[in-house]
Amino acid sequence: MSLLSKFQPLAARYDALRASGADPFSVKFDDIVSSVEGVLKGKRTLLFGTNNYLGLTFDPHSMERSIEAIRMHGTGTTGSRIANGSYDGHAELERAIADFYGRKHCMVFSTGYQANLAMISTLVGKDDHLVIDADSHASIYDASRLGHAPVVRFRHNNPDDLAKRLARLKDQPGDKLIVVEGIYSMLGDTAPLKEFVDVKKEFGAYLMVDEAHSMGVLGKRGRGLAEREGVEDDVDFVVGTFSKSLASVGGYCVSSMEGFEILRIAARPYMFTASLPPAIIASTTAALETLRAEPQRREKLTANSRRFYNGLKSAGFTVGPEANPIVAVIIDKVDVAAAFWKRLVDEGMYLNLALPPATPSHQAFLRSSVSAAHTFEHIDFAIELMTRVGREFGLLPENVHPFPPRIVTAERLSARAATMPVRRPAADVGAGMA
Amino acid sequence: MSEDQTALLNEVSDVLESVLNKKVELKPEMNIVNDLGLDSIAVMNFTMALEDKFDISIPLNDMASVVTVQDLLDTLQTLRSAA
Repeated sequence: MSLLSKFQPLAARYDALRASGADPFSVKFDDIVSSVEGVLKGKRTLLFGTNNYLGLTFDPHSMERSIEAIRMHGTGTTGSRIANGSYDGHAELERAIADFYGRKHCMVFSTGYQANLAMISTLVGKDDHLVIDADSHASIYDASRLGHAPVVRFRHNNPDDLAKRLARLKDQPGDKLIVVEGIYSMLGDTAPLKEFVDVKKEFGAYLMVDEAHSMGVLGKRGRGLAEREGVEDDVDFVVGTFSKSLASVGGYCVSSMEGFEILRIAARPYMFTASLPPAIIASTTAALETLRAEPQRREKLTANSRRFYNGLKSAGFTVGPEANPIVAVIIDKVDVAAAFWKRLVDEGMYLNLALPPATPSHQAFLRSSVSAAHTFEHIDFAIELMTRVGREFGLLPENVHPFPPRIVTAERLSARAATMPVRRPAADVGAGMA
Repeated sequence: MSEDQTALLNEVSDVLESVLNKKVELKPEMNIVNDLGLDSIAVMNFTMALEDKFDISIPLNDMASVVTVQDLLDTLQTLRSAA
C-alpha cells in the first residue's frame, strides 16, 4: 500500500486508453505556427481544439504590445498584488474590462479557474446557499468545495428545477447565489438565461454567469450570453477568462455591486497567488481593443460555427443542441471515440477527446472549437474528414450527402500548408476576413 | 431497524434503481461508494433524485459525511423532520 496506490483504478483506465493507441492527455506539438495550424509528429495539423475563438494568438497588435511591456516592465511581478503592489497595466486592464461591460468594478485574476474559485468561494459564506447547474465546469465545483456555503445542484439548464430547489430553501436564512454558464464547454449549449433571471427575481437570489466560452462570441458587442439575451442588468456578476477569445491567460469578474472592492482583501485565490506578468496584461489589453474594433471576427466565427455544425449534422452525426463555436459530436462508446479521435489526429485534424466524468451522461465527445481564423476550406476539410472516418467506423448512414457537396481533399490543404513558412508573425492578420 | 426506517429503505432503493436503471438490493451496512459502485457523479445524481422524492434540500456537504446506507437513512430522517 503506497501513497499513490489509490490511483490504481484511474491508472488502469488510462493504460487501457493508451493501449488503444490514443493518448489525448499528453499530445505534444512540435510547433504551433498560427492560430489554427500546428505541427504534430512532423505533420502539419489543423487545430480544432484550441478555444481560440477570435484567432488572436498571433495578432501583431497584441504581440508587439506584449514584447514592449517586457522591455519596459520586465518578465514578472514576482508576487501577488496585495503584497507586491499593482502595476499600471493591471489597473488599466481592469478599467478596460469594466468599460467593455459597462460595469463599475472589475477584478483580474491569474487564471479563469481562479476567478471562479475566488468569486464563488468568497461571495457566499456558511450561512448562505450556493445553487449551481449540475453540468457546471470543474472550477465551479472546486469553488463550491473551497467555500463554506451549502451547495445545491439543479438539473442542467432547467429553470423549473432551479425554482423547485430554491423553493425548498425559501425559509432558510442567508443569501442564495445561482451560478450558470453562458456556453457550456463540453456540449456548446447556452443557458436559458431569461428564464433563469425570472426565477432569480422570484426568489430574490443573486445570479452569476460564467461567460468563459461566450465572451467575444455572443452578443452585439461580444459581451456574451447576457448581452444577447438582453438581461445584463439582472446578472449581478459576470466571470470570464482571457485564455479563449483574448488569446492569453487570466480571468476576471465584473459587477456594479456596491462594496465590491472589499473582495480584493477577502478572496484568497486573488490574494495568495502571483499576479499576471506585464506581457500577459499588455497582450490581453490589446486583444480586448481588437475584439471591440473588429466585430467582423465575431461574424466570421458565427459563420464558421454554423457551417461546421450544420455540416456534421447533415452528415448524420449526433451533435449538441446549438450551432456555437463549441461543436461536440456525441459518441456512446469511449473506445470508439478514442479510436476515432486518433484517426482524425493522424490525418491532420486536432480536436479534443472529452471523456466521462468531464462529460455529462457518461458519453464521450469529439469536441471541436471553431475559430474566426479558420477558412471555409479548413472547415470543409474537417467535415469531409470526419464524415469519411465516421462512415468507415459505421457511425453514419451511407445515404446522406456530405456537406458541402464539393470534394475537399487533405492533400490539397497539406500541399498548401507545406509551402508556408514555419514562423509567420503576421499569420493571422485579418484572418478569415475575406 | 424501525418500521419507519424499513419503509424509508424501500423508498431509497426505488430512487436508486431509477437513477441507475438497474435492480439494487440495499442493506443498511452497505458502503454507498464501494459496495454499490457509485462514482462521484452518480452520488450527486442520486442526491438530486432523493431531494425530489422527499421534497427536501440535501446540500452536497451533508452527503460528504454519508458513508453507509444507514448514514443516508439517518441523514434523510434528520432533514425530513427539519423540513
